[in-house]
Amino acid sequence: MSAAAGHDAADSMRITLKVWRQEGPDRRGRMETYRLADVSPDMSFLEMLDVLNERLIAEGDDPVAFDHDCREGICGACSLVIDGQAHGPEALTTVCQLHMRRYSDGDTIHVEPWRANAFPVVKDLVVDRSAFDRIMAAGGFVATHAGAAQDANAILVPKPEADRAMDAAACIGCGACVAACPNASAMLFVAAKVAHLAQLPQGAPERERRALSMVHAMDAEGFGNCTNHFECMAACPKGISVENIARMNREFLRAALFERPTATAAEGG
Amino acid sequence: MSRIGNALASSVGKKIVMGLTGFLLVGFLVEHLHGNLKLIEDPSGRAFNEYVAFLQGFGPLLLVAELGLALLFLAHVYLAFRLTLENLQARRSGYVVRARRGGSTTGSLTMFYSGALILAYLVKHLLDFRFDARFFADPAALVKQTLAQPGHALAYVGAALVIGVHLSHGFRSAFQSLGVNHPGWNPLLAKLGMVVAFLLATGFAAIPLYFMLSASEGNPS
Repeated sequence: MSAAAGHDAADSMRITLKVWRQEGPDRRGRMETYRLADVSPDMSFLEMLDVLNERLIAEGDDPVAFDHDCREGICGACSLVIDGQAHGPEALTTVCQLHMRRYSDGDTIHVEPWRANAFPVVKDLVVDRSAFDRIMAAGGFVATHAGAAQDANAILVPKPEADRAMDAAACIGCGACVAACPNASAMLFVAAKVAHLAQLPQGAPERERRALSMVHAMDAEGFGNCTNHFECMAACPKGISVENIARMNREFLRAALFERPTATAAEGG
Repeated sequence: MSRIGNALASSVGKKIVMGLTGFLLVGFLVEHLHGNLKLIEDPSGRAFNEYVAFLQGFGPLLLVAELGLALLFLAHVYLAFRLTLENLQARRSGYVVRARRGGSTTGSLTMFYSGALILAYLVKHLLDFRFDARFFADPAALVKQTLAQPGHALAYVGAALVIGVHLSHGFRSAFQSLGVNHPGWNPLLAKLGMVVAFLLATGFAAIPLYFMLSASEGNPS
């Protein structure tokens, strides 16, 4: 096996890709093997897939479907399990920010979609994550009428609480937590939303109703239960801590004990 | 569904009940070990027999306590089966390649299996002692006689080690489920979980080892 003619071996890699191909939601999927002879270490992982797709299109084959949008690590669209790890081997990194220099010439890489019943495969590597949208619609927002923008100092938020809320708000809703969880649980995602809003004055009035309805919506989508493996935290590209899950457990317990369905705090404020 | 039904049937509610029953069962194990160690403290068996008589002295209250304990076990076991089934259902089509990232441990990944082994052992344990007609005549003698047989003794040592593996995840996990996770406490809780798992495993393993070894030395007293 010699380096491809005309290329410096250091600038070009041969990569074998084993990619999950599935024509549609009800079709049987399989791993398909593709060999790429001219991968630049400077390419991002998604650019490498773009190159593969251009070749497949030129050859008249169906390109590999995968989700992507911003390609700068903030939108949460990209969603690949690479060699068994959600978003690939780089810590705190979405797939779009994973680069081929992480790999070596001759490597074989397995690419699969997020796998969870609540995230059914649409095609190839694209899964339907609308379950997250329905959980958000159940209470992941502030329903109180906040009025016009207030003076910045009118509502004081202590710095440590603002920091913790911000850490939870960093969640981009990509679903890597579900993909990485041995039980396909969505606890880290829901916990991030519950913890983010419960710690801020705008979100606090509805914290109890939110905790109950978001947990209920999560259960209705068929995600698994959390058994505290903490694989989610290790896979999260935004470093969301499982401390938020403990906070959600407290929020839920508090809400189960004290929430009063008839008197809504939101309307009272 | 009722308010309490809704809360208990939710994923978070199940976690909380799992953690709470787990904690109470650890409390039971600590007291059980304290009682059992009297077998070693006083090789004549008198101290252990007095302890059994003391418990029996509670009369109907002891039955209430035993029923409460049985309920704890049943709730813990029922939730374990239900959570495991639901979790298997949540990902029917699995990964071709799977890699751990460092969150899960041998203890955490084998909770169902270690729990099932402990349940099987519990049935054997109850049949060996609690439901053996000879137990209340001279409890220490029956223990000594049973554990002098290497097959029985080694099964009990194995069960003690499995309890250790179960608690290596379960103790810390129960705190998380009950909402306790704080950077200031986490290192201590992690260590405490391992210490509790180690002490209970070695404590329970010591008793069958003691009787098996003293029997093999031809010194049954």
